[in-house]
Amino acid sequence: MKRIVVVAAGLSVPSSTRLLADLLGGAVERSVEARGADVEVEVVELRPLAHALADHLLTGFPSGDLATAIDHVHRADGLVVVTPVFAASYSGLFKTFFDVLDQDALDGKPVLVAATAGTARHSLVLEHALRPLFSYLHAVVVPTGVFAATEDFGGTDGALEKRVERAAGELAALVAGGGSTSTADVDPAPRPARRATVTPFEQLLREAGGDSVR
Amino acid sequence: MQIGIFTVGDVTTDPTTGRTPTENERIKATVAIAKKAEEVGLDVFATGEHHNPPFIASAPTTTLAYIGAQTERIILSTATTLITTDDPVLIAEDYAKLQHLTDGRVDLMMGRGNTGPVYPWFGKDIRQGINLAIENYALLHRLWREDVVDWEGRFRTPLHGFTSTPRPLDGTPPFVWHGSIRSPEIAEQAAYYGDGFFHNHIFWPPSHTAQLVSLYRERFEHYEHGPADTAIVGLGGQIFMRKNSQDAINEFRPYFDNAPVYGHGPSLEDFMEETPLTVGSPQQVLERTLTFKEYAGHYQRQLFLVDHAGLPLKTVLEQLDLLGEILPDLRKGFAEGRPEHIPEAPTHASLIAQKAEVPA
Repeated sequence: MKRIVVVAAGLSVPSSTRLLADLLGGAVERSVEARGADVEVEVVELRPLAHALADHLLTGFPSGDLATAIDHVHRADGLVVVTPVFAASYSGLFKTFFDVLDQDALDGKPVLVAATAGTARHSLVLEHALRPLFSYLHAVVVPTGVFAATEDFGGTDGALEKRVERAAGELAALVAGGGSTSTADVDPAPRPARRATVTPFEQLLREAGGDSVR
Repeated sequence: MQIGIFTVGDVTTDPTTGRTPTENERIKATVAIAKKAEEVGLDVFATGEHHNPPFIASAPTTTLAYIGAQTERIILSTATTLITTDDPVLIAEDYAKLQHLTDGRVDLMMGRGNTGPVYPWFGKDIRQGINLAIENYALLHRLWREDVVDWEGRFRTPLHGFTSTPRPLDGTPPFVWHGSIRSPEIAEQAAYYGDGFFHNHIFWPPSHTAQLVSLYRERFEHYEHGPADTAIVGLGGQIFMRKNSQDAINEFRPYFDNAPVYGHGPSLEDFMEETPLTVGSPQQVLERTLTFKEYAGHYQRQLFLVDHAGLPLKTVLEQLDLLGEILPDLRKGFAEGRPEHIPEAPTHASLIAQKAEVPA
């Protein structure tokens, strides 16, 4: 079973960001299935998590639904992330969600980046803001990003749909082709909340460099 | 079971009056709180150590010696001793001296609790925090156990033919706890030496505490100090009580909402749900505290934080009276279901007795 998690940072109801997120989620689902794999798509809306995200910044730990959402992202085989454009970049809410993930949460994970805005003039936000952010987080960002201005939703030429299909195909190829760090077709063990691996004490002492004269 | 209080010595404005205590008032208040802790029957008073405002907790051995002279019975501890930036030689000497002056009523809790800017003031680098904690304690451990030490390490001037003085009282070093909130390396360190492990258990969910405590217990057994359930565990906790629980909530809320450590974040109610913070009636504090052993196992030391966030001294002393009232029930509750083989926290007397048992 491949798990796709769609992170949507839209604020209004209904939201064009959510609309684009659903288009992408559906397309990825079809595309992964077409490659012969079972798939499950989960949408994480950030708006109801806004308070919990601010609290996390102040307390250092996630509460309730936010902890569940973070866990979903950790366990995903691929991500679709969609943000509205605020002040020429991703929204603060969107960034905060990725700020509070564990440092290695997105290592090697395939990610499809997408954004919405009122005007097409913001279309390069994907290349200027989202792609560098996810590269920094060591995610594998698919070549095609999906940007939708208001006018795109009313288009009759099918341009947005084509771009959605193309991006979804790229993500599906990575996910179904085993591009993710978690490729087993079995449920991975739940990830611990924090790392708690053991480094034997003698090794810790050697690393410290001390106690060399007995 | 040892039950006591720990303090970080913060100077914080009382949000209900706008008044900030002077350093002198706060230092004297710390002494008054410690004396009151003994008076109501608590077992331990522990003070933190910080070298930056808004804290008055530097020079802990001075504070503890002054308290030691005015008390008879209570164990004096730290919470925490900064093993990263303090010189282990000075720790060895200062606390051995304190041990002599107080007839052995001393133990220590090691911690890294410094902020980035503090490290360089003492010539250290926070990126080496864990390594400093490991190496410095390795030296401290030897200084208390070997009369003459030869040492070369990475962080400190070498020692050749060095003797730390005075030697520990009765040739028995103070018991050491290692405090950590989220570093498995420190749980490992505590387990390796067979020392105690303390989790501050206040700002984080119990699941974090449980994870580190169980790691420490497993590794304690791995290093052959005894079965995992006999490892020496301490927990913090934070409480505010009034006879009527709604009064406790109403009175504590402005302190919570404005406290530098968690103010302006989650609501008091949310924070109580997510972390061990308990604000309510003495009965509620009693019941909640007794649930800690469900995820930490039968443990040896429970310390409460009662004097922070700008709470006035009068209120803190009232908290101690209320704590004194539930103390017999707390002890009874902790004893319930506790297997015979679970040891008490080591004291100077028990460590000497233990040494006498080991054939030379």
